[in-house]
Amino acid sequence: MIGYYISLALRSLRSTPILSALMVAAIAVGVGASMTVLTLNYMMSQNALEHKDDVLFAVQLDSWDVNKAYDNANEIPWQLTYKDAQALLRSDIPTHQVAMHRYGFTVELEDSAIRPYTADIRVTTRDFFSLFDVPFIYGGTWEKTADGSPMQVVVLSKATNEKLFSGENSVGKTVVLNSQPFTVIGVIDTWEPSPKIYDVNNSSFAEVESLFVPFGLHRKLEIYSWGNTNGWDSGEEGEGYEGFLQSESVWIQFWVELSDSEQKAGYESFLTAYIQGQKDQGRFERPLKFALSKPSEWLVLNEVLSDDNRVLGWVSLAFLLVCVINAVALLLAKFLRKAPEAGVRRALGASRNAIFTQHLIESSTIGILGGIAGILLAFMGISGIRYLAMGQLDTVARIDWVMVAAAIGLALIASLLAGLYPAWRISRTNPSIYLKTQ
Amino acid sequence: MLKMHNVRKSFRTDTIETHALRDFSLEVKEGEFVSVTGPSGSGKTTFLNIAGLLETPTGGQYLLDSEDVSNLNDRQRSRLRNEKIGFIFQGFNLIPDLNLFDNIDVPLRYRGFNAKERRKRIEKVLEQVGLSARAKHLPAQLSGGQQQRVAIARALAGEPRFLLADEPTGNLDSLMARQVMELLEFINEWGTTIVMVTHDPELARRAHRNIQIVDGQVCDLRTLTEQPEAATA
Amino acid sequence: MLELQPMLSALWRNKVPALLISLQLALTLAIISNIVIIIQERIEKIGRPTGIAVEEIIAINVMAIPQDYDMIGAISADMDLLRKLPLVKDATVTNQVPLSQSGSAGTFYTQPNQKVGGENSNRYNTDPNFINTLGLKLVAGRNFTNTEMQYYDPSEIRDVNVAVITQQFAENIYPGQDPIGKPLYDGDSHPIEIIGVVERHLGAWVDWSKAGNVAFFPIARNTQDINYLVRAEPGKRDEVLKTLVEKLSERDPQRVIKTRILSEYVARSYAGDNLMVKVLSIVAATLSFIVALGIVGLTIFWINQRAKQIGVKRALGATRSNISRYFLVENSLIAVTGIALGSAAALIVNQYMVRDYSQPVLTLVPLSICALLVLVVSLTAALAPALRAANISPATATRSV
Repeated sequence: MIGYYISLALRSLRSTPILSALMVAAIAVGVGASMTVLTLNYMMSQNALEHKDDVLFAVQLDSWDVNKAYDNANEIPWQLTYKDAQALLRSDIPTHQVAMHRYGFTVELEDSAIRPYTADIRVTTRDFFSLFDVPFIYGGTWEKTADGSPMQVVVLSKATNEKLFSGENSVGKTVVLNSQPFTVIGVIDTWEPSPKIYDVNNSSFAEVESLFVPFGLHRKLEIYSWGNTNGWDSGEEGEGYEGFLQSESVWIQFWVELSDSEQKAGYESFLTAYIQGQKDQGRFERPLKFALSKPSEWLVLNEVLSDDNRVLGWVSLAFLLVCVINAVALLLAKFLRKAPEAGVRRALGASRNAIFTQHLIESSTIGILGGIAGILLAFMGISGIRYLAMGQLDTVARIDWVMVAAAIGLALIASLLAGLYPAWRISRTNPSIYLKTQ
Repeated sequence: MLKMHNVRKSFRTDTIETHALRDFSLEVKEGEFVSVTGPSGSGKTTFLNIAGLLETPTGGQYLLDSEDVSNLNDRQRSRLRNEKIGFIFQGFNLIPDLNLFDNIDVPLRYRGFNAKERRKRIEKVLEQVGLSARAKHLPAQLSGGQQQRVAIARALAGEPRFLLADEPTGNLDSLMARQVMELLEFINEWGTTIVMVTHDPELARRAHRNIQIVDGQVCDLRTLTEQPEAATA
Repeated sequence: MLELQPMLSALWRNKVPALLISLQLALTLAIISNIVIIIQERIEKIGRPTGIAVEEIIAINVMAIPQDYDMIGAISADMDLLRKLPLVKDATVTNQVPLSQSGSAGTFYTQPNQKVGGENSNRYNTDPNFINTLGLKLVAGRNFTNTEMQYYDPSEIRDVNVAVITQQFAENIYPGQDPIGKPLYDGDSHPIEIIGVVERHLGAWVDWSKAGNVAFFPIARNTQDINYLVRAEPGKRDEVLKTLVEKLSERDPQRVIKTRILSEYVARSYAGDNLMVKVLSIVAATLSFIVALGIVGLTIFWINQRAKQIGVKRALGATRSNISRYFLVENSLIAVTGIALGSAAALIVNQYMVRDYSQPVLTLVPLSICALLVLVVSLTAALAPALRAANISPATATRSV
């Protein structure tokens, strides 16, 4: 019977091509607009660390100015000072812990035709790869000693390894960074968390860095951060690079992996004790405060999904709602015009349910067509957004199969909702009034 | 075949209640050809709608084929309409978007026959009404008489035992009207019970029996002739 | 000649379609009025004067390859080279590119060793050519001199003695006073004298609440990488751009040099706002269009349904304009209902927009304009069908079917 209804639906659509096109267009535009915006919001809300959401924590310590709280949602600086990061690294409680920041080097290869270029670097402790589950193709991370003393080793991204070594196993080869020789120790596989969860306070949708170097290099290479550096106590800064390292400026991002609640409780008391100890030395003058945020909480706290995105989300849903109401009105008009036919069908033995189903299937047909057209519009919308964002949203402005399925689902639900009342109305109409001539 | 006992039907609007049928009782036997006449607004159409299970009576009892159908749900009534009742209307009521074949196909679809059975039946009834060659035509391409023959074919395709006709010749000229009437008589001879509402006294006389509806009540011709006698008695 | 009473009862009998149109118009008004104020705010934001000759400037990032590179020597050589290039008006060195969303800021005070109650400001380390290169306007005091320039290693701590600040920053930190000669403190006891005020410079971050608070210091540090700004003669920017990398690399190949025009930085900084404006405008336009089509469709259906009635009216002496007017008045009734509902909804929605998403407040004027717009859309949509209705022949009345 479904087949019969579908053929009736198609026949009916063909019989009023303009009205049908209008309804399909209304649904398509509504679905297209919503899917464009919702896709963006959905991609921006992804949590690449969802599988470790219960064990990973971003660490914040309130080392800020006693006179003025840090200007963010939980009033704790996003990042740590270098000296606090070093102190926390000495704890053996966490399963893994990462202190890191963004940096940049010029990259060269000896005896190579490749022109020197600048690359984004992540300066990090060795646990970065295990804590964030970064897969290696060749080699692995550096030894623990490299986190404390200068060792010129480097881990390459897959793309960098392709560029410099044509994708071959480059472990043991030399790359020249800021004219210093570094030995390749590992190559990671493609790994593109988006949003860039481990560094949302610089640029949430930036690409992953192309090289990774150990945390023990700071003093030797006088590395400053290329990410955000925030200070409040400019008067206290001592002489030289060492002065910068010992300053109250916050620029180190810190993550820990705590496998169970016991470990977490242990780490919390460690942090409490650490802050108490610092207070005794005249630091941490604000009330004792720190935060351990899960990846999912971290994304919310950092407002990775901005207010503007949320506004667009609501606007697009409201838009879809208008399109649905519009479709209700047009379907009502169309169905009521065909009421005499429904009356004849009732007389010939169609039950109310049969009439209802027939018309609901007609609405769904419009929905499916609208959904397909809507996906095309969403693709156009997404590429429009990539264009307007000037490359800043390339990692999130893309449609995956989940969203394609969701678009069709949304269109179907929208049109079923739109068709519900008109189909019900026509199935309830008394057939006899349409059977009389007049 | 059809038996109504004290059937009532009233329509209620915000302010007034109108009684379309009042204590309406009637029996039609298997194989009968009954014509129903009466002035406008007397309740003829309401009677036909109730008889055809398109409307439910407000009260009273209606037996179709000895089965009490007064309290059936929509699904059961639709099923009965589909299997036992055929409709013929003054305005033909063919579905304009569907060709003859597909129009006749409609009740058979709701019956749930398979494609082969449907095709067999459609071809058979088209043959009976002499329109086999026009199966792919749209209703609008036919004359009024031809359209009414298609409507009759559609009513017959499900082999109903009971045919309800509402002014079947009302929109036709006299020649076509006669042809349609002959077709109905032919169908009746093959055993189908027919109830026909009409204005035309000549057509009414051609039925086995004529009943009149006045003010929502059956006014049997016998009763009409008997009443004066009773009055004189 | 207004048949309001029968019109209302006719509407009541067709209440579902009428309600659907009203509801659409109401939602449309609620959405569009909130959209319009956001668009308006963003357009104003994008249109703010930057104080900078954005279209004539090229930004250059120079990153030294050797670890112990003499950046200070390179800066003066590069400046000499750049300033002598044909079609180049001027060039300057800066630690950060303005309007690029990347920069540094600090808190400044009016008293020595003050810790509370300061004013935040964007800060740039640059040289005396910055005013001419950026196209700023000095409105009070004087520019830096070359002798005031300090060149030093990033690890060194040096006190800076003079600053040029923007007028906005001056008004915020020394409200109602002449800032020239007044000190700035950055938390310690060393005064920085304000020697000049420029009319305007929007600073690094277009989204910052303090955008426009900017201070300039005559400093260049010996860092691994540095930025130059080059201002070309009007209309000659792209021509200048072509040769820059080549010329700088030729002078010293030991660097990686990247160029980007300032207008691109600006476009990228405003990309989010621009995106909002474009997307919301498209939404507002399509929304109006879809609603209009819906009204057209429904009015046509409605008129078809009442064709016979219209014929009867015509037969009884109604003129064509009576018929058209009937449908237009009917449409206005529906639209006005929708607008009343929509205005309420718009104001309620706006409260959430302001509270939760820091969007602008909806005032009466934009709301009234949008309401009028919705009414016009609705009437325009109804016009064609209403005129068509007037063409229904009185003979329709006498024909059955």
